Amino acid sequence: MTSDGCGAPAGGAVATDAGHQAIVQGRVTRGGSAVPTGYARLLDSGGDFVAEVPLGEDGGFRFFAAPGTWTLRILAPGGVRAERAVAADIGQVTELEVAV
Amino acid sequence: MSRSDVLVDAEWVEAHHGDDGVVLVEVDEDTSAYDKGHIADAVKIDWKTDLQDPVRRDFVDKAGFEALLSARGIANDDTVVLYGGNNNWFAAYAYWYFKLYGHHDVKLLDGGRKKWELESRELVTDVPKRAATSYTAQQQDSSIRAFRDEAVAAIGKLNLVDVRSPDEFAGRLLAPAHLPQEQAQRGGHIPTAKNVPWSKAAAEDGSFKSDDALRALYRDEAGVDFGKDTIAYCRIGERSAHTWFVLHELLGQPNVKNYDGSWTEYGSLVGVPIAVGDAS
Repeated sequence: MTSDGCGAPAGGAVATDAGHQAIVQGRVTRGGSAVPTGYARLLDSGGDFVAEVPLGEDGGFRFFAAPGTWTLRILAPGGVRAERAVAADIGQVTELEVAV
Repeated sequence: MSRSDVLVDAEWVEAHHGDDGVVLVEVDEDTSAYDKGHIADAVKIDWKTDLQDPVRRDFVDKAGFEALLSARGIANDDTVVLYGGNNNWFAAYAYWYFKLYGHHDVKLLDGGRKKWELESRELVTDVPKRAATSYTAQQQDSSIRAFRDEAVAAIGKLNLVDVRSPDEFAGRLLAPAHLPQEQAQRGGHIPTAKNVPWSKAAAEDGSFKSDDALRALYRDEAGVDFGKDTIAYCRIGERSAHTWFVLHELLGQPNVKNYDGSWTEYGSLVGVPIAVGDAS
């Protein structure tokens, strides 16, 4: 996936050099297994939507954010919802595992 | 035109499964989504390889669109129901594109692939075989497509609605936050544009908000003048197709154009005015 498109590939776009990027990525699990069907949404500090990706086969997601504090919201079938606060900064990969 | 003419829900799709004259079409940028599973009997259209000219930056021409729909087994009088990922961005883009070439009966599945998946509805991998048709398209309807000179001429005169995220509008980001920030063009927005992110028109499950909520969002909160013509834009024209659908098809605004060149074109033009910073 290159940025000549605008869509969100499952699991998020392939990470490039984190040097210029503020990457937030991770994986969604249930009982230790990956959750492959669901969505990860990134919300800003005001609670407004910023971006969304479908989860990858391994439950993975990745965002290229701006520096700051964000909320990660997970949606999955069966009315599953989970939220985590997350901080991002340029040159850093913030990694988190979300158990639902 | 009302909501029930242009939107269907999952129950409608299930009730009309197998009907002659109804064709379900999944439209994605990432066609691996379709290959992993799609709604039964849906055919696929690739936003890029099927709808964009492979050489020039433009759409496939009338003959190309006719060849595409003929090969997919879509006839002129078929009801085409579009759905896709990314909260129906690309399905809305295809809806606008089908209208551009004059297809009469097009509908969106409200909520698209996401709502369908979150409701644990059936997805299959069997690819349907449809007999080829002989589709005839109309000339492009220029009343719904804006080009760059119209965008520049609209500054301070018409409604310009920038549907990107606030960070893209302000010039802090050059692409949505799920993509690498590697663009070369300038950041910012077209002067006098209102910023109404596409996402404000959709609920969390990807379905459209009510007409009253949408009217309040654009007219009352953002100050879009419903007495004036409107041009919507984003980065490459698919998120703004989603907003075009809201303004033109759901709210019935008569003169709304989608500027598909959008920021990747405008932000690279030499000599045009650009504004930076947050919406006031």
